[in-house]
Amino acid sequence: MPDEATATATVSGDGAAANPLREGLATERIANPCSVVFFGASGDLFKRMLLPAVYSMRLNGTLPTDFALIGFARTAYTDDAFREYCRKQLELFMPDGSKPQGAMWDDFARRISYITADFNNTSHFKDLKKRLEQNDRDFGTRGNHLFYLSTPPSVFPVIIKQLKAAGLEKDPQGWTRIVVEKPFGTDLASARTLQRAIEAVFPENEIYRIDHYLGKEPVQDIIALRFANTIFEPIWNRNYVQNVQITSAESLGVEERGGYYDSAGALRDMIQNHVINLLALVAMEPPISSNADDIRGEKYKVLSAIDPPAHTDVWSMSARGQYGPGAIDGRAVKGYRQEPDVAPDSNTETFAAAMLFVQNWRWAGVPFYLRSGKRLPRKVSEIAVTFKPIPHRFYGESTDQIEPNVLVIKIEPDEGISMRFEAKVPGPEEHVRSVYMDFNYGSGFGVQSPPAYERLIGDAILGDQTLFTRWDAVERAWEIVTPILEVWQNTKDFTFPNYAAGSQGPESARKLFPDWRHI
Amino acid sequence: MTLERVDARVATQTLVVFFENSSIGELARDRIRRLASKHPSRVVILDAAQSESMHRIEGSDWVELGVSGTPPEALRSAVDTLRVADTPVVLLWIAPGIGTDPRFEMLCDGVQTVVYNSSLLDLGHEALCELVDYVARHPAIPITDIAYLRLAPWQECVAIFFDGKDVAELAAVRRVEIGCGSDPEAFYLLGWLASRLGWTPSENDALVDRSGNRINFEIRREGDPRRIARIAISSSRATFSAEIDKSEPTILLSVTGPDRHATRYRAINDPGIAALVERAILRGRKDKVFHDALAAAGEILAKQRN
Repeated sequence: MPDEATATATVSGDGAAANPLREGLATERIANPCSVVFFGASGDLFKRMLLPAVYSMRLNGTLPTDFALIGFARTAYTDDAFREYCRKQLELFMPDGSKPQGAMWDDFARRISYITADFNNTSHFKDLKKRLEQNDRDFGTRGNHLFYLSTPPSVFPVIIKQLKAAGLEKDPQGWTRIVVEKPFGTDLASARTLQRAIEAVFPENEIYRIDHYLGKEPVQDIIALRFANTIFEPIWNRNYVQNVQITSAESLGVEERGGYYDSAGALRDMIQNHVINLLALVAMEPPISSNADDIRGEKYKVLSAIDPPAHTDVWSMSARGQYGPGAIDGRAVKGYRQEPDVAPDSNTETFAAAMLFVQNWRWAGVPFYLRSGKRLPRKVSEIAVTFKPIPHRFYGESTDQIEPNVLVIKIEPDEGISMRFEAKVPGPEEHVRSVYMDFNYGSGFGVQSPPAYERLIGDAILGDQTLFTRWDAVERAWEIVTPILEVWQNTKDFTFPNYAAGSQGPESARKLFPDWRHI
Repeated sequence: MTLERVDARVATQTLVVFFENSSIGELARDRIRRLASKHPSRVVILDAAQSESMHRIEGSDWVELGVSGTPPEALRSAVDTLRVADTPVVLLWIAPGIGTDPRFEMLCDGVQTVVYNSSLLDLGHEALCELVDYVARHPAIPITDIAYLRLAPWQECVAIFFDGKDVAELAAVRRVEIGCGSDPEAFYLLGWLASRLGWTPSENDALVDRSGNRINFEIRREGDPRRIARIAISSSRATFSAEIDKSEPTILLSVTGPDRHATRYRAINDPGIAALVERAILRGRKDKVFHDALAAAGEILAKQRN
């Protein structure tokens, strides 16, 4: 029979009585009832990623039972037409066996509504307020509201201002949270402007800046690898690590995003957010707990220890490239400047590489090489930690190359960890060669990682900010890349295009660091 | 031409499966294959329906041995020889008699997880009573019961009723009705409620809460074997009902009373036996809530037996 602690309804941090039946359940961290409002619900991100994530949560039971979804966008729909639109998208983007049907879909569909809106019209936000109040009555959503901004970033400040004007920034009955999609600004100044607009309405603990990379299972596993094992941490420092390479490569070009991409480039699109976030996870000190702010505090400390390159050092610490025509997977592909909506004389980089140093006791002198690019030979995201060479070889005159140990954390498309080490080739002669020890999530656990958006939306509803980026880290990441951004913007690169699609990237990247891992 | 790396698979655990009924054995083989395809395992099948002359090996990680009449010590020795070194050993015991069969005790020795299924053989609540007695005598045994793990969607539904402001109603519960196709699941569900809420059995059909209030309960055979059909929890003000929708794998949730609530739905996501065994392996060993529920179910059953 129970002890007092398990038998008594306790009071949780937010003042609500905790449910003693929750202890030990698979969904111990149960999400509160809530309405989720998707701004930009007629867009691509909503139909491909967000809606399937929410419906999948509904099917696997991680969405609160008392839930409602409101679409809010410019495209005109009635509630019924939007429900039908959602059903069709789910037919397209949900896997077999999870298509919308039966009582589960009917119940989900009746919780969906839509507001055709002009973001500049306050009365439409007042309509939203009424709809949220109606949801509280009809679906028991208890005044808990999650606003998800999946519109173009230029509209974010307008929406936030209108939320305030309509009195939606706070509900006396429940919580209010806002999810902000990336990019968070287009440079340091615009990020600060956006932050000022948001923080004028919402406190930091209600702001969820999403970087879907952080929702990927192998990214979360970096923390487990480092801090749930004893064998790595003692050698995770300047004494043993030669360098760290972080790669996020894509074989795709800009596809339909030429218009956006031509004003962004690889440095803004990938390095400033995804890649620097990975650097922070690899280099941070052990947090004192798994609490969101303990982890995010350590990440910020690492970023604050990185000196942004001086403008005069930009060329020796970075490399940029733009792909020309070439071949991927045996197929001829066109160059960047021939892509739709791209300027024929574009100076935008589709490849960016940088060398950064974390100036602290642990990492002093260890270069962190970051690179990201489009139209590289294959899609691969990984972190490779290369250890220092052996101090003395006793294999005499052997001509065998003794390679340094490398630990690779594989993020995409394979998910897992690989370790390279040297082993003796069987036989009487003293030969050594590299062998690999592989761990793959697929064969190790036999389970598919949950999609990143599913995890992140669930965490936002739960109020867990661990996998969301705090403002100080976003600002610092912009500060780190700003000198590179400024020098590149102000200098036309007449060598563009300087790498062929399907190649390893521009020659300038090899000059920056000759030992990049082969993509 | 592309050269691809060989997809090497390495067993991450040893699954020892014991049964003595041929028809159950066939079912077990099928489910274990599914499980092993998900969690790379060396599978050691101990088939007590077959004589010792039977043995079959598939690849390097599937071994079947006939063990009818095999002494307990020889069984353990076989497992020690066949297990993958440095990986956990999981015992799936699909047979009755855990309290009396020396083979069970011998096979449990050195095992990291024991998975039992008290409702598989439809022995009423006898198998559950046997488990209660065994765990009382061997409190350190790392055992979990598939019958309990099957409750997960129902526990979730019951918990949903009392999230937020309705949590106060838990102190005013006066009646619980459970409809179920087998006894163990029903007693586990009641035992789980009792253990979480501090109820103790007072009569063969009633419990009392810590303030001394009486809570009547009724358990009825209803619906498919090993499946909960419904649960209704009544306080002085409201009734909270969760009921299976037979047309779909869905549970309907309704609340009557002053705070009436529109009917809600929840997917059951019946995971199948392979997934339940997987769950048992992943979280069964240190599940305090399970052990509390088992102890409470045992106390309720003891009151009924007296």
